[in-house]
Amino acid sequence: MAFLRPKGRGALRRLARCLLAITLLGAAEARAAAPSREYQLKAIFLFNFSQFVAWPAGSLGDAQAPFVVGVLGNDPFGDYLDATVLGEKIGGHPMVVRRYRRVEDVGDCQVLFISGSEEGRLEGIIARLGGRNILTVGDAANFSRSGGMVRFVMEEGRIRLKIDVQAARSAGLTISSKLLRAAAIVTREEE
Amino acid sequence: MGFRSGPMNPPARQQDAKPFRPGGAGGRFAIAVAAALLAFAAACPRASAQSEPLLQPSDLKKLSVEELMDIDVTSVSRHAEKLSETASAIQVITSDDIERSAATSIPEALRLASNLEVAQIDSRQWAIAARGFNNLFADKMLVLMDGRSVYTPLYAGVYWDVQDTIMEDIDRIEVISGPGATQWGANAVNGVINITTKSAKDTQGGLVVVGGGSELEDSEEVRYGGQLAPGVYYRAYAKYFDRGNSDLPDGASATDAWRMGRTGFRIDADKGDGTVATLQGDYYDGTVTRMGPADILMSGGNLIGRWTRELGDQSEVSAQAYYDETYRKIPNSFTQTLNTYDFDFHHRLPLGKRNDITWGLGYRLEADDITNTPAEAFLPAKDSERTFNTFVQDEITLVRDRLHLTLGSKYEHYNFTDPEFEPSARVAWTPSSNQTVWSAVSRAVRVPSRIDLDLYEPATPPYQVAGGPGVVSEKVNAYELGYRRQVTPDVAVSLATFYNEYSNLRGLQPLNPPAAFPVDVASGLRGESAGGELTADWRVTAAWRLRAGWTELRVNSEPEPGSIDRVSGQSIALDPNHQGQLRSMLDLSAAWQLDAALRYVGPITNRAVPGYTEGDLRVGWRPLPAWELSIDGENLLHDHHAEFGPAGSRREIGRSIFTKVEWHF
Repeated sequence: MAFLRPKGRGALRRLARCLLAITLLGAAEARAAAPSREYQLKAIFLFNFSQFVAWPAGSLGDAQAPFVVGVLGNDPFGDYLDATVLGEKIGGHPMVVRRYRRVEDVGDCQVLFISGSEEGRLEGIIARLGGRNILTVGDAANFSRSGGMVRFVMEEGRIRLKIDVQAARSAGLTISSKLLRAAAIVTREEE
Repeated sequence: MGFRSGPMNPPARQQDAKPFRPGGAGGRFAIAVAAALLAFAAACPRASAQSEPLLQPSDLKKLSVEELMDIDVTSVSRHAEKLSETASAIQVITSDDIERSAATSIPEALRLASNLEVAQIDSRQWAIAARGFNNLFADKMLVLMDGRSVYTPLYAGVYWDVQDTIMEDIDRIEVISGPGATQWGANAVNGVINITTKSAKDTQGGLVVVGGGSELEDSEEVRYGGQLAPGVYYRAYAKYFDRGNSDLPDGASATDAWRMGRTGFRIDADKGDGTVATLQGDYYDGTVTRMGPADILMSGGNLIGRWTRELGDQSEVSAQAYYDETYRKIPNSFTQTLNTYDFDFHHRLPLGKRNDITWGLGYRLEADDITNTPAEAFLPAKDSERTFNTFVQDEITLVRDRLHLTLGSKYEHYNFTDPEFEPSARVAWTPSSNQTVWSAVSRAVRVPSRIDLDLYEPATPPYQVAGGPGVVSEKVNAYELGYRRQVTPDVAVSLATFYNEYSNLRGLQPLNPPAAFPVDVASGLRGESAGGELTADWRVTAAWRLRAGWTELRVNSEPEPGSIDRVSGQSIALDPNHQGQLRSMLDLSAAWQLDAALRYVGPITNRAVPGYTEGDLRVGWRPLPAWELSIDGENLLHDHHAEFGPAGSRREIGRSIFTKVEWHF
């Protein structure tokens, strides 16, 4: 039974050990990650929302003021979101990305992605943002229930939107029917 | 670790396979594959150390919201990211894959995983294994349904004829080839099959499926789901089917038609406060006709409770308890009643920034009562097996998003064997977001089952088979190396290679050599296996998807040095050296689907089962959102073909056509 010859066996075992070592060594070259495809697409959605939502006149400040896409909490997008908004303008306002560690840090901002890292504090965060003209976006399971406006849900590997129109309206935002057609409309109570 | 949901991996492409020569080609094949992979892995990361976004923002911004919503992100989503970083050979069968196949049962659906050997023995019996040693009593797989272990301690294998549910309610089937002992549980020596059904929340409303055909003669399924309170959902189902006879090699009926009725429920509560609870149960009853002896009767039921609480971002605790009862009466052979009580607890917690710890413990009591017959006996007739296990695993982030090392060990204590440690080390290196190289070294054991320890033939002395007083646990040391790559957003490939060394495999030892009989069961064999599992997934257009898989496998066993095990003088392996499949899923329009599959399984030389190629075809038509009509053709290329059984008592599997109507309300 040549297949069981000790010689071949030892060689394979050595090979297996070698491979482990090489795998470990190779890591020295590691670099910063691109986000997963899911978050690449979500970054594109964040950009798209700027096209389908109307903010109250004057809420953006003067013409020089930027249109801010904010990320609160752990940033899942890496520099992909920056690449997405690079060179884009909304009604003359240049689009920029800002990142915030705490809700207290959120300054002028039009679209705010609230990261999954904030899941446990969502209600407090959204309550604190209440009254400001900020479109809140998130993907935590309790996002709509906590009063968030646009929630990403995954269905069979695809991104779906759940939008709470009332929550957006009470923040002075009007969401285009084009976007609403592609989304499921929810209310906080139903969720 | 039943309630763990894992990631997914796409299946495969055909590759030329060298014919197996007994002179050691198997070992050379494994070395060649491993060497090629090593060269590739060593060259690749340098070429693409720069992380490359899979999709350019400028391209995506041109798409409409609807088009964006149509992009499948599973291949690299949060779950899948976990998957793509998973250091094991995992393939996932989704509910969509099942719907698009001609599968009408769980074993048929398992054919979708190209890393499994799936052979139909007769109308109801299947031999299903990963990485070799396949058999009707294949005993090296852990199979779970919603966290409930379904292999029987009688022979450490699965009675596939009683594992079922409404096919539309299956959420996913994860198939891991290779040992999963640390993370999963006992018996995960060569692989894990983890079947998960949908949450009751995802099966709201009514469903009626009625069908009929040539093998599955008639099938009726009814399910209804509703809401009990805010956040609390339920479903209840019932199903019944009649399956026809398999064929004798001359085409005559093998008289093994059978029927089964089944009912069950599931309640899921998720009130959004971080606590999720599930209660579910099933009951079934069935009858199998036979050529000579009286009908086989089988029935059983189970009740599972599961509770999970999130403690923070990366931390949760979960507990699960279940009761399972099975009854099987095989006239002229034996009758067994088995009661299983199982409890599991898991806790996951981060430790510092780099360590993700999971630990847990479990206890299982399996008590059975066997009514023996004069021809054969399990002695003692009543027995109980108590198992205690505890495990700890640490997923260490060596380089963020790039390099992860998972170390763990399980400790198992049985009332009848020495304690067993099952350690493993797995490393996953993600040099860029679209590729992962992984490797693992692990050890797993299969503790003796009743068929190993307690089988006597005849039931009274003098015995021809005299139990297995000296049987110890089978052990495997496994070495694995794999590579996954998302070549383009539409093409994914993966390769998993392995080399396994087995010791203390079960054999039969003559008690008065050189006389071949009597024998006792002994742990006198050792074995080796090596192989590679290649898969490819290509989304040709938004409406057309191709998947392919090719698996090479070499398995051998021989007596341990000094062993007098001569009864198993030839290798006990009954595995094809090659197998492959190609699947096509095509949306002709919004209402019409056309799906096809072709599979090739090489000959099983130890048993003189010829190789075969078979094809399936499915046409689905959804004239209205609530109505679907489909015609499934299975094994269309031959009138009947053999897949496994020994010549002489071999049954063959016939061509079958099945039509069904599905109504959602």
